[in-house]
Amino acid sequence: MTRYVLLGIATAGLAIGQPLHAADTTANLTVNASIAAKASLTIGSAAINFPDRSPDDFPTVPAAENPVSVTAKAHATTGQNVTLTVLAGGDLTSGRNTIGIGNVTWTATGTGFSAGTMSAAAAQAVGAWSGSGSRSGTMSFSLTNNWNYAVGNYTATAVFTLSAQ
Amino acid sequence: MPCTRRYALAGLVLTVLSAPAAAQTHSKSASGLLSLTVPASVRLTLSVTSIAFPDANPDHVPSIPATAAVGITARARSAPGASVVLSVIAGDDLRSGTDTIPASALSWTAAGDGFRGGTMSQTSAQTVAIWTSSGLWTGTQSYLLANSWDYPAGSYSATLTYTLSAP
Repeated sequence: MTRYVLLGIATAGLAIGQPLHAADTTANLTVNASIAAKASLTIGSAAINFPDRSPDDFPTVPAAENPVSVTAKAHATTGQNVTLTVLAGGDLTSGRNTIGIGNVTWTATGTGFSAGTMSAAAAQAVGAWSGSGSRSGTMSFSLTNNWNYAVGNYTATAVFTLSAQ
Repeated sequence: MPCTRRYALAGLVLTVLSAPAAAQTHSKSASGLLSLTVPASVRLTLSVTSIAFPDANPDHVPSIPATAAVGITARARSAPGASVVLSVIAGDDLRSGTDTIPASALSWTAAGDGFRGGTMSQTSAQTVAIWTSSGLWTGTQSYLLANSWDYPAGSYSATLTYTLSAP
């Protein structure tokens, strides 16, 4: 008899004891993330072409691919200059004939993009920004036409460089 | 401390049961009030103390997975039917000097009973898991960092605080 009574009391003690209290515990977790300097450049057309036109009717010949999209993306430190430049490898050439690369110009749209004239001697600014970001714009190329150009198929290569300095 | 009290109770019951001979001999009954408080208690264990997000090109990896998942073990003794809640809050945005990545760029998926996915906040605690009553639960959190070209280059860090609560 005794043991049943005491066992019952002990069990009741668990259920009807003093009000239960809230309990909290915490744990911390450190989060680390690394963002390294990097750049990505996308030109919408790998080549542009200027069709044949009469200099009288077309003193400047627009490229068939105009407008050419340009997307410049960069991870840079805050305030760091991000620049996009273009440098021609040489004049437009067709065999031994040449057209000065300075006859190729462009206009531009998009924040930070600028118009310019192609050069084989010095890189020309296409865009300038500050810090990280993804910037999109367009370039529309034109060739100054001239009756003095020798007949031929001319080519040149230009290199675009996106850098953070 | 809660464990100590539980053992004390078991000892009391066993002591009473182990004296049947005396009880039968004297044929007396006795009564008394035993009061025992069993407070709610909780314990939380994380498998790692830090996680890291490696650098990645946002065009190729728009969401960067953390290098390790966070294993979580939660133990709670709570009132029957009461909710046991595990939450997390960021102490601040991820910071690298004066540069920041919003804490909300962190999100997670989860596995395990009661666990749920979510998005980090530095303004209000976000629920990681909810259970009912007492128990032991395990699960994992897999964190992702939304990548962006807008982030300034740098080494960022933030502290997350997990809180396990039982009413």
